[in-house]
Amino acid sequence: MTLRQGSRLGERRLQFQFDGQPLTAQAGDTIASALLANGISLVARSIKYHRPRGILAADQSEPNALVTVGVDAAAIANVSASSTLLHDGMIVRSQSGWPTLGFDLAAMFGSMRGVLSAGFYYKTFMWPSWRFYEPMIRRLAGLGPAPTASDAPIVEREHIETGIAIAGGGAAGLIAALSAARTGARVVLIERDSTCGGELDFETASIDGKPAREWIDDTMAELLQRGVRILTDTTLVGESQQRLLAVHRPARRDSQTMYRIHARACIRATGAVEQPIAFINNDAPGVMLAGAAELYLARYGVHVGKNVVLFGNHDRLYATAKRLLDGGVNVQAVVDTRAYVRPLHIEELRARGVECMQHHAVRSSHGRRRVHAVTVVSLDDAHRSQRISCDTLLVSGGWVATGTHGAVTLDHLHWSRACGAAAGAWPLQEVLNQASGVGIEAARVCGYDGTAVSTMASGDPAPGVQAFVVSPATPTEQKLQFVDLQNDVTVADLRQAIDEGFVDIEHIKRYTTLGVGTDQGATASALGAAIALKLLGKPNELAKPSRRRLPLHPISLAALSGPRIGTAFAPIRRTPLHDWHVANGAVMESMGLWMRPRYYRSNGSDASSAGIAEAARARQSGGFMDASTLGKIEVHGRDAAAFLDSVCLMRASLLRDGRSKYTVILREDGMVIADGLIMRLANDRFITTVSSDHADHLAAHFQYWRDRRWSDRRILMTDVTEAWAAIAVAGLHSRKKLSTLLGRPFVEALGTLAHMSFFEAQHRGQELRILRASYAGELGYELHCRPDAAVSLCELLIDAGLKPYGIEALDVLRTEKGYLGGSEMNGQTTPYDLGLSAQLHANERCIGSALLNRAAFNEPERQALIGIRAADGRSRFLAGAQIVATDRRTRSAGHVTSAVFSPALSQWVGLALIDRSVVSSGVSLLAMDPLRQLQTAIVTTAAAHFDPTGERMKST
Amino acid sequence: MLIDCPFCGPRDSHEFQFLRVLAPAGADEFNEVYGRVNRLDVSVELWQHRHGCQAWLVVERNPSTAQVLSVALLRGDRP
Repeated sequence: MTLRQGSRLGERRLQFQFDGQPLTAQAGDTIASALLANGISLVARSIKYHRPRGILAADQSEPNALVTVGVDAAAIANVSASSTLLHDGMIVRSQSGWPTLGFDLAAMFGSMRGVLSAGFYYKTFMWPSWRFYEPMIRRLAGLGPAPTASDAPIVEREHIETGIAIAGGGAAGLIAALSAARTGARVVLIERDSTCGGELDFETASIDGKPAREWIDDTMAELLQRGVRILTDTTLVGESQQRLLAVHRPARRDSQTMYRIHARACIRATGAVEQPIAFINNDAPGVMLAGAAELYLARYGVHVGKNVVLFGNHDRLYATAKRLLDGGVNVQAVVDTRAYVRPLHIEELRARGVECMQHHAVRSSHGRRRVHAVTVVSLDDAHRSQRISCDTLLVSGGWVATGTHGAVTLDHLHWSRACGAAAGAWPLQEVLNQASGVGIEAARVCGYDGTAVSTMASGDPAPGVQAFVVSPATPTEQKLQFVDLQNDVTVADLRQAIDEGFVDIEHIKRYTTLGVGTDQGATASALGAAIALKLLGKPNELAKPSRRRLPLHPISLAALSGPRIGTAFAPIRRTPLHDWHVANGAVMESMGLWMRPRYYRSNGSDASSAGIAEAARARQSGGFMDASTLGKIEVHGRDAAAFLDSVCLMRASLLRDGRSKYTVILREDGMVIADGLIMRLANDRFITTVSSDHADHLAAHFQYWRDRRWSDRRILMTDVTEAWAAIAVAGLHSRKKLSTLLGRPFVEALGTLAHMSFFEAQHRGQELRILRASYAGELGYELHCRPDAAVSLCELLIDAGLKPYGIEALDVLRTEKGYLGGSEMNGQTTPYDLGLSAQLHANERCIGSALLNRAAFNEPERQALIGIRAADGRSRFLAGAQIVATDRRTRSAGHVTSAVFSPALSQWVGLALIDRSVVSSGVSLLAMDPLRQLQTAIVTTAAAHFDPTGERMKST
Repeated sequence: MLIDCPFCGPRDSHEFQFLRVLAPAGADEFNEVYGRVNRLDVSVELWQHRHGCQAWLVVERNPSTAQVLSVALLRGDRP
């Protein structure tokens, strides 16, 4: 095979595979150009009817040619063949052909076109539910599969601060950049191709007397020399609140960069998208956009066909025909829908043997896997038609500016303008004049000024497009006139949507799936909108395509998340005892960001049996647990007590030094957000401890109220969570054991320490604070020490014969006692609901208490916390089960918030939030758990299942 | 969206956490929580520089353009 000549091609040969077939390509090829060069025209099957499809476009507007790249679990699906650079050894597979692309069983759907119309799925698969059919339908109709493994590409993120960001490096983008850069403004230019130039690449154009390519190279050189940053291979994917998002895809896929560009001004020089025309079988392989054929020829030296017919509604067709002829492609005919075409265009082509037809249209193409002929019909007389043999039909229905075809523009957010073809400018001279003016305007926004660069350019003349969107066809034939190739939406579907009452294009879009594909309807939205207007009998000038949504082009989730994944997104917090737990066989579990020991392997093979064993042992012979994750906020200052009085449901000001008290903290709306203890260290010093998952939130809550109401008072607040490790020791003999192991100065203090009191002393030269309190409901002490003393303290406890227990056991112990956990304080429960009315009487002026007087909180149906057990004293029930009354099983009366097997009571016990009126009616209750197939008759009890009077905890 | 923190300078809005719209002066407890001033041009909001200096801020924003109009410390604004 001889080397092809094209502006993007290198000389190196590449090997690649398509559906297992080894093929060769040249460096610089895209997947699509390589396939075309190898004579492959059938590259995909369509999503709904499994019709054969080829390559339509030469850029990201491609609707058909989506392929899977790679082989293993990390293969990337839905890659656009027309805009993806091929590299050596690439393994490319077609999608949605089963069992093979050439012989597709599901193509029988093609004969069901009349059935699979718009809204078919919505209307048909209703019984028993859509979920029943969805997996089958997804298998048949869907794009490629999502990768199951991560290929972990390195995604870097770069923030760029600049004056002007310009999207698009075609003629307009380059001249705008040049004008702006010459004033001294800072400019960043984003170009999706590997080099700038856009359509100048293949248009017969000259600027300032130079051939286009030379002008491009000179301009890029000057831009670089002026410090303009040119990001090639970079796609604009979004524009949002004062920043642009762009993704850089280098030639090799092992790294990519997401740029966030903050600019004072943005210029969209993103050009225009060539539009197809709807005719019968316009989706067959061999039908291609005219501009794409030119591009494949100029950049990749590819002849898209041997015998070509051009079909369109503008003058550019004739320039294209000439360039194709010059490139060695045989052009059979040019079919123009316009009645009048200037003779100048026609004469030269006729002389070269090209048939030129005016006021004619291609009615249909023939050939299933590849076009082999087209039927051309006169627009004056529908009965006059002729058949022309050809293997390729190039179609062009004009252009739609990317701006109007829906790019989300946020002009009101920051200075942002379209220029060039994106602003509707045409031809080249006008594009250059307009764009250089916009470049100067943007520079002024950044505080620079100058004169617009003026140029003399010649290129293709203005095309003189006359709207023509759909060829004549009968209503039955409209089922073969495709509007959205990616979603198999036809003219008949649009007509049906309109017949069913949809008028607005946004509604038609949603009903028919017009333009909802990965291409965002680049070649479908504007066409569909224009055809819909025609069907509605409205003038074409009103055509407004449906809106696109971000991202403007498909990007991987990895590109969005960047390096912030895993622990870089959510760092792991470890307590000072973490390594000790692991060394002692703990199974660690994450709770929020913290890692905590769930259970110790030596106590059982699974969490539930180990947890029960650990809890039973703690009640019998004592134990200890790591409580370092407890949130600790130190509040200090002359007004600390008064401040705490206002944010906590207790009176900190009445607390004596060395004493602590239980408190709950309310949100402004009266809901309980956390509970904990307040310890008074000194007259002006307090520590508030709260459950681990609330520390951050609570600190913010406290800071808010300090700033809001107490900013002129003397209060300092510090989160000291990590400054203190904490070990909770529980058990009947804990006092004796602590006295023995801590030695002299502690013996006496421990002996007289009352429940909820604490003292501070030095142990082995380090601070140790001992608080008598227990979340396990036993005689217990919390040892608060500095982090580096925690491990040696732990070893002492082990030496004294105490064993550690994990959070699984803690959950058993606290549920037996009816203490509150996160599932009870769920942000929707008031102190009344949780049985904390007594707390409320202690401090009625606390934040949140005012709104507790609302009537709804006192309705008899309001759910309240209550203890539950199985009616038979044996059966199991689990947290999350719904509670229903046996006389009204269809209505939820509440749910189980906590459920554990209690070793102390030898049965399942739990806490539940249940409708008070249902409880007081005495009706029998069921815990229904259909997901886990449990149904348990339950009875209600007091929340405290074990030792309700707290004798064990308060024992002397 | 950039928020100009009085302590830290202009920082990306990712660093801040929104709490709610600030009730107009003199609102009772109920309206303090549930009252909503829903103006297109100005929204006075409470934000905390959560991933920064922790300062609580009163941010005036134009919700239809996402433009930040002013930033002040909550501390200076006592009802």
